[in-house]
Amino acid sequence: MKTMTTLDFDDVREGQALPSLTKHITVEQIRQYAEASGDRNPIHLDDSFARSAGLPGVIAHGMLTMAFANQMVTDWLGDRSLLKRLQGRFAGMVVPGDDVTCSGTVASKDDATRRLVINLVVTNQRGEKVFNKGVAEAEFPPQRSTTHAA
Amino acid sequence: MTDARWVGRSYETAPFEVTEQSIRDYMAAVGDVQEDGELIAPPTYAMVYGFDAYWQLWTDQEVALDVAHLVHGEQRFTFQRPVRAGDRIRTTGRLTAIGTRGDMDLVSFELTARDEQDRPVSDGTALFIIRKP
Repeated sequence: MKTMTTLDFDDVREGQALPSLTKHITVEQIRQYAEASGDRNPIHLDDSFARSAGLPGVIAHGMLTMAFANQMVTDWLGDRSLLKRLQGRFAGMVVPGDDVTCSGTVASKDDATRRLVINLVVTNQRGEKVFNKGVAEAEFPPQRSTTHAA
Repeated sequence: MTDARWVGRSYETAPFEVTEQSIRDYMAAVGDVQEDGELIAPPTYAMVYGFDAYWQLWTDQEVALDVAHLVHGEQRFTFQRPVRAGDRIRTTGRLTAIGTRGDMDLVSFELTARDEQDRPVSDGTALFIIRKP
Protein backbone atom coordinates (compact mmCIF):
# COMPACT_ATOMS: atom_id res chain seq x y z
CA MET A 1 0.00 0.00 0.00
CA LYS A 2 1.16 3.51 -0.79
CA THR A 3 1.75 5.59 2.28
CA MET A 4 1.60 9.33 2.68
CA THR A 5 4.60 11.62 2.81
CA THR A 6 4.03 15.11 4.14
CA LEU A 7 4.61 17.93 1.70
CA ASP A 8 7.34 20.44 2.51
CA PHE A 9 5.72 23.88 2.77
CA ASP A 10 8.91 25.53 1.50
CA ASP A 11 8.67 23.60 -1.78
CA VAL A 12 5.23 25.03 -2.64
CA ARG A 13 4.95 27.85 -5.19
CA GLU A 14 1.97 30.05 -6.00
CA GLY A 15 0.46 29.02 -9.31
CA GLN A 16 1.66 25.45 -8.92
CA ALA A 17 -0.72 22.77 -10.18
CA LEU A 18 -1.54 19.82 -7.94
CA PRO A 19 -1.35 16.32 -9.44
CA SER A 20 -4.81 15.68 -10.88
CA LEU A 21 -7.00 12.78 -9.78
CA THR A 22 -9.42 10.92 -12.08
CA LYS A 23 -12.18 8.59 -10.89
CA HIS A 24 -14.49 6.35 -12.88
CA ILE A 25 -18.02 6.38 -11.44
CA THR A 26 -19.91 3.12 -11.15
CA VAL A 27 -23.31 2.10 -9.79
CA GLU A 28 -21.39 -0.08 -7.34
CA GLN A 29 -19.36 2.83 -5.98
CA ILE A 30 -22.51 4.94 -5.51
CA ARG A 31 -24.10 2.06 -3.58
CA GLN A 32 -20.99 1.63 -1.48
CA TYR A 33 -20.96 5.37 -0.72
CA ALA A 34 -24.65 5.25 0.24
CA GLU A 35 -23.91 2.46 2.71
CA ALA A 36 -20.79 4.06 4.18
CA SER A 37 -22.35 7.53 4.53
CA GLY A 38 -25.89 6.51 5.48
CA ASP A 39 -27.34 8.61 2.62
CA ARG A 40 -29.68 6.09 0.97
CA ASN A 41 -31.85 8.64 -0.83
CA PRO A 42 -33.38 6.60 -3.70
CA ILE A 43 -32.28 9.16 -6.32
CA HIS A 44 -28.83 7.58 -5.79
CA LEU A 45 -29.96 3.94 -5.74
CA ASP A 46 -33.15 3.36 -7.70
CA ASP A 47 -33.16 4.11 -11.44
CA SER A 48 -36.93 4.17 -11.87
CA PHE A 49 -37.38 6.38 -8.80
CA ALA A 50 -34.70 8.75 -10.08
CA ARG A 51 -36.41 8.96 -13.49
CA SER A 52 -39.76 9.66 -11.83
CA ALA A 53 -38.03 12.56 -10.04
CA GLY A 54 -37.03 14.00 -13.42
CA LEU A 55 -33.44 12.78 -13.44
CA PRO A 56 -31.77 10.76 -16.23
CA GLY A 57 -31.37 7.85 -13.79
CA VAL A 58 -29.44 7.42 -10.56
CA ILE A 59 -26.96 10.21 -9.84
CA ALA A 60 -23.89 10.17 -7.63
CA HIS A 61 -23.99 11.95 -4.29
CA GLY A 62 -22.50 15.44 -4.55
CA MET A 63 -20.49 14.60 -1.46
CA LEU A 64 -18.80 11.73 -3.33
CA THR A 65 -17.44 14.25 -5.83
CA MET A 66 -16.36 16.51 -2.96
CA ALA A 67 -14.62 13.52 -1.35
CA PHE A 68 -12.58 13.11 -4.55
CA ALA A 69 -11.57 16.78 -4.42
CA ASN A 70 -10.67 16.27 -0.75
CA GLN A 71 -8.54 13.25 -1.68
CA MET A 72 -6.66 15.09 -4.42
CA VAL A 73 -5.69 17.79 -1.92
CA THR A 74 -4.79 15.50 1.00
CA ASP A 75 -2.87 13.06 -1.24
CA TRP A 76 -0.75 16.05 -2.24
CA LEU A 77 -0.44 17.42 1.31
CA GLY A 78 0.43 13.95 2.57
CA ASP A 79 -1.37 14.59 5.86
CA ARG A 80 -5.16 14.75 6.25
CA SER A 81 -4.89 16.84 9.41
CA LEU A 82 -3.45 19.82 7.48
CA LEU A 83 -6.74 20.51 5.65
CA LYS A 84 -8.64 23.29 7.44
CA ARG A 85 -11.26 24.35 4.92
CA LEU A 86 -13.00 22.85 1.89
CA GLN A 87 -15.88 24.28 -0.07
CA GLY A 88 -17.44 24.34 -3.50
CA ARG A 89 -20.52 24.26 -5.66
CA PHE A 90 -22.07 21.17 -7.23
CA ALA A 91 -22.39 22.52 -10.75
CA GLY A 92 -23.54 19.44 -12.63
CA MET A 93 -24.80 15.91 -12.21
CA VAL A 94 -22.43 12.96 -12.05
CA VAL A 95 -23.84 9.66 -13.32
CA PRO A 96 -22.53 6.09 -13.57
CA GLY A 97 -20.05 5.76 -16.44
CA ASP A 98 -18.66 9.26 -15.97
CA ASP A 99 -14.95 9.87 -15.56
CA VAL A 100 -14.42 12.87 -13.32
CA THR A 101 -11.09 14.64 -12.98
CA CYS A 102 -10.15 16.84 -10.03
CA SER A 103 -7.69 19.67 -10.66
CA GLY A 104 -6.20 22.19 -8.29
CA THR A 105 -3.88 25.19 -8.32
CA VAL A 106 -2.13 26.95 -5.47
CA ALA A 107 -3.81 30.37 -5.40
CA SER A 108 -1.83 31.82 -2.53
CA LYS A 109 0.87 30.95 -0.04
CA ASP A 110 1.36 32.88 3.20
CA ASP A 111 4.76 32.31 4.77
CA ALA A 112 3.80 34.04 8.04
CA THR A 113 0.75 31.90 8.77
CA ARG A 114 2.03 28.87 6.81
CA ARG A 115 -1.29 28.68 5.04
CA LEU A 116 -2.04 27.68 1.44
CA VAL A 117 -5.20 28.45 -0.50
CA ILE A 118 -5.93 26.07 -3.36
CA ASN A 119 -8.52 26.59 -6.09
CA LEU A 120 -10.33 23.43 -7.17
CA VAL A 121 -12.48 22.26 -10.04
CA VAL A 122 -13.86 18.87 -11.05
CA THR A 123 -14.77 18.21 -14.67
CA ASN A 124 -16.32 15.24 -16.44
CA GLN A 125 -15.12 13.46 -19.60
CA ARG A 126 -16.82 16.12 -21.77
CA GLY A 127 -14.96 18.91 -19.97
CA GLU A 128 -18.12 20.08 -18.20
CA LYS A 129 -17.62 21.37 -14.68
CA VAL A 130 -19.43 19.22 -12.12
CA PHE A 131 -17.87 20.96 -9.08
CA ASN A 132 -16.69 24.56 -9.30
CA LYS A 133 -15.80 27.56 -7.13
CA GLY A 134 -13.86 24.98 -5.13
CA VAL A 135 -11.47 26.24 -2.47
CA ALA A 136 -9.31 24.31 -0.03
CA GLU A 137 -7.15 25.81 2.66
CA ALA A 138 -4.29 24.04 4.40
CA GLU A 139 -2.31 25.10 7.43
CA PHE A 140 1.14 23.75 8.18
CA PRO A 141 2.43 23.55 11.76
CA PRO A 142 4.83 26.27 12.91
CA GLN A 143 8.35 25.67 11.73
CA ARG A 144 10.70 24.42 14.41
CA SER A 145 12.96 27.40 15.00
CA THR A 146 16.59 26.80 14.27
CA THR A 147 18.14 28.83 17.04
CA HIS A 148 21.60 30.23 16.75
CA ALA A 149 23.57 31.33 19.74
CA ALA A 150 24.12 35.06 19.51
CA MET B 1 -42.77 26.32 -1.72
CA THR B 2 -41.00 25.39 1.50
CA ASP B 3 -42.49 27.40 4.36
CA ALA B 4 -40.06 30.05 5.63
CA ARG B 5 -41.50 29.91 9.13
CA TRP B 6 -39.29 26.87 9.85
CA VAL B 7 -36.12 28.96 9.67
CA GLY B 8 -34.33 28.60 12.99
CA ARG B 9 -35.40 25.02 13.61
CA SER B 10 -32.49 22.86 14.77
CA TYR B 11 -31.63 19.18 14.94
CA GLU B 12 -29.06 17.43 17.10
CA THR B 13 -27.51 14.03 16.56
CA ALA B 14 -26.86 11.51 19.29
CA PRO B 15 -23.11 11.19 19.97
CA PHE B 16 -21.63 9.43 16.93
CA GLU B 17 -19.04 6.84 17.93
CA VAL B 18 -16.27 6.91 15.38
CA THR B 19 -14.92 3.41 14.81
CA GLU B 20 -11.96 2.22 12.79
CA GLN B 21 -14.40 0.15 10.70
CA SER B 22 -16.57 3.17 9.92
CA ILE B 23 -13.52 5.20 8.81
CA ARG B 24 -12.22 2.32 6.68
CA ASP B 25 -15.67 1.74 5.11
CA TYR B 26 -15.82 5.41 4.16
CA MET B 27 -12.26 5.41 2.79
CA ALA B 28 -13.03 2.31 0.70
CA ALA B 29 -16.29 3.81 -0.58
CA VAL B 30 -14.64 6.98 -1.86
CA GLY B 31 -11.39 5.22 -2.86
CA ASP B 32 -9.21 7.34 -0.55
CA VAL B 33 -7.24 4.56 1.08
CA GLN B 34 -3.72 5.85 1.68
CA GLU B 35 -2.58 5.91 5.25
CA ASP B 36 0.59 6.47 7.17
CA GLY B 37 0.65 5.09 10.66
CA GLU B 38 -2.18 6.77 12.51
CA LEU B 39 -5.64 6.37 10.98
CA ILE B 40 -7.13 9.83 10.42
CA ALA B 41 -10.53 10.09 8.74
CA PRO B 42 -10.69 11.98 5.44
CA PRO B 43 -12.05 15.43 6.39
CA THR B 44 -15.24 14.93 4.32
CA TYR B 45 -16.07 12.09 6.74
CA ALA B 46 -17.83 15.01 8.51
CA MET B 47 -20.78 14.02 6.32
CA VAL B 48 -20.84 10.61 8.04
CA TYR B 49 -20.73 11.66 11.69
CA GLY B 50 -23.11 14.53 10.96
CA PHE B 51 -25.43 12.62 8.66
CA ASP B 52 -28.24 12.15 11.15
CA ALA B 53 -28.68 15.93 11.41
CA TYR B 54 -29.24 16.08 7.63
CA TRP B 55 -31.53 13.08 7.83
CA GLN B 56 -33.67 14.68 10.56
CA LEU B 57 -34.08 17.79 8.39
CA TRP B 58 -34.95 15.79 5.26
CA THR B 59 -37.53 13.68 7.11
CA ASP B 60 -39.07 16.44 9.25
CA GLN B 61 -42.75 16.02 8.44
CA GLU B 62 -43.59 19.62 9.37
CA VAL B 63 -40.90 21.24 7.23
CA ALA B 64 -41.86 18.69 4.55
CA LEU B 65 -38.98 19.24 2.12
CA ASP B 66 -39.61 17.61 -1.26
CA VAL B 67 -36.66 15.25 -0.88
CA ALA B 68 -37.26 13.50 -4.23
CA HIS B 69 -36.46 16.81 -5.94
CA LEU B 70 -33.71 17.90 -3.55
CA VAL B 71 -30.13 18.13 -4.77
CA HIS B 72 -27.02 19.34 -3.01
CA GLY B 73 -26.11 22.78 -4.39
CA GLU B 74 -23.10 23.90 -2.35
CA GLN B 75 -21.12 22.72 0.64
CA ARG B 76 -18.56 24.37 2.90
CA PHE B 77 -16.57 22.84 5.72
CA THR B 78 -14.05 24.13 8.19
CA PHE B 79 -12.09 21.57 10.18
CA GLN B 80 -10.84 22.39 13.65
CA ARG B 81 -9.20 19.08 14.40
CA PRO B 82 -8.61 15.66 12.83
CA VAL B 83 -11.06 12.82 13.56
CA ARG B 84 -9.90 9.40 14.76
CA ALA B 85 -11.45 6.16 15.96
CA GLY B 86 -12.70 6.56 19.51
CA ASP B 87 -14.03 10.10 19.02
CA ARG B 88 -17.62 10.73 20.08
CA ILE B 89 -19.03 13.58 18.04
CA ARG B 90 -22.35 15.42 18.34
CA THR B 91 -23.53 17.52 15.41
CA THR B 92 -26.15 20.24 15.58
CA GLY B 93 -27.76 21.43 12.35
CA ARG B 94 -29.80 24.58 12.03
CA LEU B 95 -32.10 25.59 9.21
CA THR B 96 -30.85 29.13 8.57
CA ALA B 97 -32.58 30.31 5.39
CA ILE B 98 -35.31 29.35 2.96
CA GLY B 99 -35.55 31.27 -0.30
CA THR B 100 -36.33 30.93 -3.97
CA ARG B 101 -34.33 31.34 -7.17
CA GLY B 102 -36.42 31.12 -10.30
CA ASP B 103 -38.59 28.04 -9.90
CA MET B 104 -36.33 26.47 -7.27
CA ASP B 105 -36.38 26.60 -3.48
CA LEU B 106 -33.05 27.14 -1.73
CA VAL B 107 -32.55 25.80 1.77
CA SER B 108 -29.50 26.66 3.90
CA PHE B 109 -28.41 24.37 6.70
CA GLU B 110 -25.54 25.18 9.09
CA LEU B 111 -23.86 22.55 11.18
CA THR B 112 -21.44 22.50 14.08
CA ALA B 113 -19.79 19.34 15.36
CA ARG B 114 -18.24 19.04 18.81
CA ASP B 115 -16.45 16.30 20.69
CA GLU B 116 -17.13 14.85 24.15
CA GLN B 117 -15.16 17.65 25.81
CA ASP B 118 -17.34 20.14 23.87
CA ARG B 119 -14.36 21.18 21.76
CA PRO B 120 -15.08 22.13 18.13
CA VAL B 121 -14.43 19.43 15.52
CA SER B 122 -15.86 20.94 12.34
CA ASP B 123 -18.43 23.36 10.95
CA GLY B 124 -20.43 22.92 7.79
CA THR B 125 -22.82 24.84 5.61
CA ALA B 126 -24.99 23.08 3.05
CA LEU B 127 -27.15 24.69 0.41
CA PHE B 128 -29.89 22.44 -0.94
CA ILE B 129 -31.79 23.12 -4.13
CA ILE B 130 -35.33 21.80 -4.49
CA ARG B 131 -36.44 21.62 -8.10
CA LYS B 132 -40.11 22.02 -8.84
CA PRO B 133 -41.74 18.70 -9.79
